[in-house]
Amino acid sequence: MANEKYNLKNEIETLREDCLRPTRTFGRSTQIWVGCLLVIIGWGLYCYIHQLRDGLGVTAMRNYVSWGLYISTFVFFIGISHSGTLVSAILRITKQEWRRPITRSAELLTFVSLCFGGIQPIIDLGRPDRIMNLVFFGRIQSPLIWDIISIMTYFTGSTVFLFLPMIPDMALCRDRLTVVDTRYKKFKKWLYKFLAIGWQGTKSQWHRLELTMTIMTIVIIPVAVSVHTVVSYIFAMTLRPGWDSTVFGPYFVVGALYSGSACVILGMAAFRKLYHLEKYITPRHFDLIGRVVLALTMIYAYMNLNEYWIPAYKMATAEGHLLNDLFTGSYSTAFWTCQFGTVLLPIVIMAFPKGRKITPLVITCIIIAAGAWVKRYLIVVPTLLHPFMPIQEVPGTWSTYFPNYVEFSVTAACLAGIFLIITLFSKLFPMMAVWEVEEGIEIDHDKQMAIELREIRLAEEAKLLDLAKTNGGVVNEGNKSITQPA
Amino acid sequence: MKMNNIIKKTALAITLTGLFSITASAQDQGKSEATIVMSYSKNADLSKTATAIIKVKNKDGKFVAAKNAKVNFYLMHDKQEQLLKSANTDNTGLAVIVLQKDMPLDDSLSFTIVAKVENDPLYENASEQMHYKDANLSIKLNPADTGRVVIAKVTQTGKDGKEIAIKGTEVKFYVKRLFGNMPAAEEYAVSTEDNGEASFIIPKNIPGDLEGKVTVVAKIEDNDKFGNVEGNADTKWGKPLATIKDPFPRELWSPYAPLPLVITISTLFGGVWFTYFFLFYQLVKIKKDTAKA
Repeated sequence: MANEKYNLKNEIETLREDCLRPTRTFGRSTQIWVGCLLVIIGWGLYCYIHQLRDGLGVTAMRNYVSWGLYISTFVFFIGISHSGTLVSAILRITKQEWRRPITRSAELLTFVSLCFGGIQPIIDLGRPDRIMNLVFFGRIQSPLIWDIISIMTYFTGSTVFLFLPMIPDMALCRDRLTVVDTRYKKFKKWLYKFLAIGWQGTKSQWHRLELTMTIMTIVIIPVAVSVHTVVSYIFAMTLRPGWDSTVFGPYFVVGALYSGSACVILGMAAFRKLYHLEKYITPRHFDLIGRVVLALTMIYAYMNLNEYWIPAYKMATAEGHLLNDLFTGSYSTAFWTCQFGTVLLPIVIMAFPKGRKITPLVITCIIIAAGAWVKRYLIVVPTLLHPFMPIQEVPGTWSTYFPNYVEFSVTAACLAGIFLIITLFSKLFPMMAVWEVEEGIEIDHDKQMAIELREIRLAEEAKLLDLAKTNGGVVNEGNKSITQPA
Repeated sequence: MKMNNIIKKTALAITLTGLFSITASAQDQGKSEATIVMSYSKNADLSKTATAIIKVKNKDGKFVAAKNAKVNFYLMHDKQEQLLKSANTDNTGLAVIVLQKDMPLDDSLSFTIVAKVENDPLYENASEQMHYKDANLSIKLNPADTGRVVIAKVTQTGKDGKEIAIKGTEVKFYVKRLFGNMPAAEEYAVSTEDNGEASFIIPKNIPGDLEGKVTVVAKIEDNDKFGNVEGNADTKWGKPLATIKDPFPRELWSPYAPLPLVITISTLFGGVWFTYFFLFYQLVKIKKDTAKA
């Protein structure tokens, strides 16, 4: 038993070291990576200032397409923010033990994608300084106000949801930092101390933490669902072909979960490889979350069928023009690639166990994420180019749209911003919830111990039975008395 | 040497004279020819105004307003011009002055006012005059009269101070609205009779204010003898304005949202934010637990 305890202690110590190791280094490759991201962000900022100074005319957007790449990206980023809720909250509430090593990266992805998703509509404004008018003079009847309220609520909630399980880990970082020499030690010392909020792991502190996490887990799920439902309302509550749909709420929510969980897999694979977490994030984790993505992709395919098949059956005038353009017109390549390449093909791949192995699953998830982004573009742009009133007597360029370098640069900067925050976060904080994984190890260890003890007991009982058989009667050993069955 | 000096001075004098004359001529050529149109109004409060509209021809030969032109107004009395006031034209070329109420009249109980543009750097000199008699217009009505008859009486004050009735003058009847006067009926012009009175029946159902009050206006307009003369009176002959108790009912499309929507959204998000605050409170308690420990 002493040996078992020793092993458990060693295992936990190894886990702590494995998780904290990346926070103590900031190697050359990381520096180059951060430098590249900063260059992209800098260029994006320059383009945004150009857009601010000279107006939205510097983008490819015109009167008809006033929601282009920015709003498509907004929907995509808000979509992948659902990853944290799905993986962390739903798996937590259903007590899925395998969730433990992946919750942190999922919650972080939620936080950063909300940060950059939330600013996309502001970037899309020619006069962003007027955004406060929406807050001061907005009408509660407007889906735009609901959007602001629900995104702010979700952002606050997901920040708390990210922070709560970090508290014991912050205390661990705080305590370990005093004995390990690292760069920026003074800053880190202050940061960990501040974020640990005096955590000492007392019984009452654990009790309160568990209480708050349980409440937060329950609350964050409906809030997350409300966010993407309301994002869909911005489209569905306007009378436009393609958007005038009653399934838009669940369609957006499922689409968000499908793309978000795929992005979680990408994050898991990246951190596993970069920070050598192979011991903790195993192929089994990929197989299990791959099954989740498979289920979500199938539901998403079903929603797609409803979204397009019903209007296609009727082919009402304006809707018909839009659908013709999507099915056989200028957007048909992108549309069918999305449907077959990023929905049906992933289903086929992930349906087989070999397709849920790490490499094929990562490739599939890259396809899913890219396809989800293009799909958002196909929801936003073609509808704007097919209004009920025909586009006429306007310059030819107004009736087409493809994002130009300004929009691509600003969007790339936002994506780089997401990567930068994730990188810096991973260099400051452990990318796995250490205490949760420890808890998992202890539970596994207890289970293993229980199995071993049961096996020992059964072996002893079998031995006694054999003894009784040979003696042909009853054997008394201490308080035990075993009688040979008739 | 003397001869040379004389020649030089003479040449200089000729050159300077030439230059001055060219400049003066050029300035004269740069000035625009101004045209003056005058009018006179006697308002309901018995104040009197004289108006001059100055117009000039532009390069295309079209009349445009002469802006910021100085106009001098004179009163002709005993064949003498007596300066009353000066006024500058506005952007529409309009210059207005208020005349004194007891303006001296000539033997024919009339007055003459002259408007002049004089020595203006931009416009050529111009002059125009108007000659009007000073008429009075009073309104008589009985608020209790169900027939809603309004009588406008046009008179002129004689030298002895007696009112002299003026017959055959057209009086138009209006009802005052927020942005001007509305003709009170389709046929709203009535000529005065021998006694100087013009009778008019105000139609029913003219919208008034909350109490049904309307302002009846009688006007002599652009009359060759009297210019513009106006009189008015308030009476409760109008239809009381129906007040809308709730001009903005709670609707999705009105400024105020339906209550069920407000309550639903407030309850949902209020509940979530209440939970957040409870969690923040728990975090504070976690911090305090440290202090206890």
